[in-house]
Amino acid sequence: MSAGTPKSLASSGQKPIQEICHPLGAEETASVLTPSPDVGNTITSIGGKDLSLPNGTPVETSSPASSSSHLNRLQLDDDLDGETRDLFVTVEDPKKHVSTMETYITYMVATKTTRVEFDLPEYSVRRRYQDFDWLRTKLEDTQPTHLIPPLPEKFVMKGVVDRFSEEFVETRRKALDKFLKRVADHPVLSFNEHFNAFLSAKDLNKRLGLALLSKMGESVKYVTGGYKLRGRPVEFSAMGDYLDMFTQKLGTIDRIAQRIIKEQSEYQVELREYGPVYTTWALSEAELQGPLEGVASCMANCSSALDELTQDMSEDFLPVLREYVLYIESMKIVLKKRDNIQAEYEAKLEAAAFRKEEKASCTQVPTDVEKCHDRVECCNADLKSDWDRWQNNKRQDFRQLLTGMADHNIQYYEKCLAAWESVIPLLRDKQPQETETEED
Amino acid sequence: MLSVSCLSALLLHTLERRMADAGNKESAPIGGDEFTNTELENNKNNTMVEEGSTLLRRMEISVAEAEKRTGKNTVNMQEIFTVYLIETRPIDAITEGHNPAPDSLWRRYSEFEILRNYLLVTYPFIVVPPLPEKRAEFVWHKLSADNMDPDFVERRRVGLENFLLRVASHSVLSNDKILYHFLTEEHRWKEVVYETGFQAKADSRIKALSATFRVKNPDKRFTEMKHYSDELQSLTSQLLRVRARVADRLYGVYKVHGNYGRVFSEWSALEKEMGDGLQSAGHHMDAYAASVDDMLEEEEHYADQLKEYLFYAEALRAVCRKHELTQYELETASSDLISKKQQREELATGMVRTFSFKGMTNKLFGQETPEQREAKLSLLEEQIVQGEETVTEKTVECEEYVKGAWVDMQRFKEQKDRDLREALIGYAVMQISMCKKGIQVWTNAKECFHKM
Repeated sequence: MSAGTPKSLASSGQKPIQEICHPLGAEETASVLTPSPDVGNTITSIGGKDLSLPNGTPVETSSPASSSSHLNRLQLDDDLDGETRDLFVTVEDPKKHVSTMETYITYMVATKTTRVEFDLPEYSVRRRYQDFDWLRTKLEDTQPTHLIPPLPEKFVMKGVVDRFSEEFVETRRKALDKFLKRVADHPVLSFNEHFNAFLSAKDLNKRLGLALLSKMGESVKYVTGGYKLRGRPVEFSAMGDYLDMFTQKLGTIDRIAQRIIKEQSEYQVELREYGPVYTTWALSEAELQGPLEGVASCMANCSSALDELTQDMSEDFLPVLREYVLYIESMKIVLKKRDNIQAEYEAKLEAAAFRKEEKASCTQVPTDVEKCHDRVECCNADLKSDWDRWQNNKRQDFRQLLTGMADHNIQYYEKCLAAWESVIPLLRDKQPQETETEED
Repeated sequence: MLSVSCLSALLLHTLERRMADAGNKESAPIGGDEFTNTELENNKNNTMVEEGSTLLRRMEISVAEAEKRTGKNTVNMQEIFTVYLIETRPIDAITEGHNPAPDSLWRRYSEFEILRNYLLVTYPFIVVPPLPEKRAEFVWHKLSADNMDPDFVERRRVGLENFLLRVASHSVLSNDKILYHFLTEEHRWKEVVYETGFQAKADSRIKALSATFRVKNPDKRFTEMKHYSDELQSLTSQLLRVRARVADRLYGVYKVHGNYGRVFSEWSALEKEMGDGLQSAGHHMDAYAASVDDMLEEEEHYADQLKEYLFYAEALRAVCRKHELTQYELETASSDLISKKQQREELATGMVRTFSFKGMTNKLFGQETPEQREAKLSLLEEQIVQGEETVTEKTVECEEYVKGAWVDMQRFKEQKDRDLREALIGYAVMQISMCKKGIQVWTNAKECFHKM
């Protein structure tokens, strides 16, 4: 993970990534990493507002102003049975690396913890997307009965999306940050040895080799298991149904949001032509010049406010929505795995019963069946608790998402209101009458 | 010329009238006396004591209602048209404490057009207030371009009232007898107005306005004013076009949000704890989507104000053109006179100053007889005398025209500045209201999301 001299982004003259004011900027980072008495104990929110995700994701990650109170926003989530938080993870500071073979982005993964499973209280490592992907695969393999949070899309079409644009990288960083926070938040996954390695190892590649390859084979079997399921418990069917319908709703919301953005852009096009007509008119007028120019500049302000709204929705709203669809896909896979495990158990049970008929005593088989039965019970229990957790997170996430949408719109209207209110005195203020020219 | 304060008072009066609804319906007719010319003159003189008094000071005017009628048109076919109720009441009676019922009569749009054409022809130096548009133009997608549409009819009613109020408060126009008849005599009015012979003048006016001719010494002020009227026309029509497109797009943005209402409702059925919050938020999204209809309907009033000045620009241009025509006629008469005088000189002295074909043929084919020359000379003398009269007339005409037109153009300029400023303020107020509503709805929705 060499950190070559970070180069500025070439595309479309945008600011180099390291110049971007990051939610946890340089100064902030220092304060986050140095152990402070606050971190490691339970932190209640200031002002009693439920502002953040369970693991302290700030609400407004895009505005520098909010970042200064980032730590203040970390809050104990009441829904997680009073767990003490002792592991904090963030993803920040994307940097571009250029080598002869390839160009890629790395992110800094910063950890603060008091857990004994970690050698040090703090870590700061650089990881690239590949590494996150590795982690997720490992988690899926080693924790097959648990729901693993999703990653942002792996592949992007090179022509369509600029992989190194400010927006894309920031969107991805947010999603990766969320991924790690969800894992860190999970009572089982957060203790996974691969997660530990991911957070702490200087060089991840070395440990890749020691991959628990044996477990890989099992995961494949779980997903593609050829057992037929007899009777799925109602609660899991209900989960499946819910996920199907929920996905549908999310798809609809995504389409609506996109449509709104499109309509707003078209509105913007007309607005950009509208304002300047007032400016042109002002040139032909004397006493009306001031008022007309005032109206024109007001419209320009509204126009840029609309720009910001559209951009915020594109960057904050849509990606989160889409990521949830991925989350649901992961959940469905877990449900399927559970089905397979149950099916396997049922098949073995049947086979055992059949064999029991043939041979009077056979001690080995019941143990095998028992193991399967245990696995089923375990899986169901894990899944149920993961489901509850997922539902809770979903509720919080959507509350935040939709509240954010409302906030963006409120801000837009407030900006426009301010612009129009400020132009009223200008419109009302009459200049001293010019003296009339003499008649012939 | 009316002072600014008088105009402001009248404008306020106009605005109040516009905002008030139809008048009373008791019955007590105004005396239908016709004013003779002398009486009108006296009236003018008497009321001139109170500076800038106009018909509107003496009479309350409103266009109270609109109704559909059927009837036969000029080619004897059945048609449906709209008539408007004009109500008038003498102000004296009101201020004295009585409450007489208004006099009223019905007029259709075409009759207003006739009145306006009459005024244009009779007072060519006045920037005559325009009528509301004949057909709906600059419509945005959802509004209908149908003349029978009730919203269109209502806006037209307001526009017609506005026209009458402007005319009746104009220092010159308000004293016109035909105007008075228009407001008070339902049936004979058309005959009376045609008797004035304005129709012939109207036809020649139209020809004159579109004729091309070159004025040698144009009055710079009028040239500038004409140029300004062109600008005003072009700018207001551009503004109206773009505004309609903006309205269209804004409509789209709001309406799509209605889809959120539906999907939130569907989604809420799937949820347990989140359900209520989602459902309520969905209602707010529906309300948001529905709110745009009223807001854009209100904005039509702003569009109407712009349209009025779009048409006013035409009237202003006509005044400038008429001046050019008058000036041109004067110049033509002058140069005619000069050439006639030159001809006389040539005949008298025998010296040919200017080359003429006649002169050449004379030289080639022989001169005319002394008798012939005498006859020519006396004819020329007559023509010169006539020509001098004409030039004097035209000069006076031109001077008076310039005087009257300049005064009215200044009045128009002040009125325009006032009205458009008010229109812009009104527009800003509408935008502010729209923003506040937006904040309200989204704040409500946010509270619902919070409860999810």
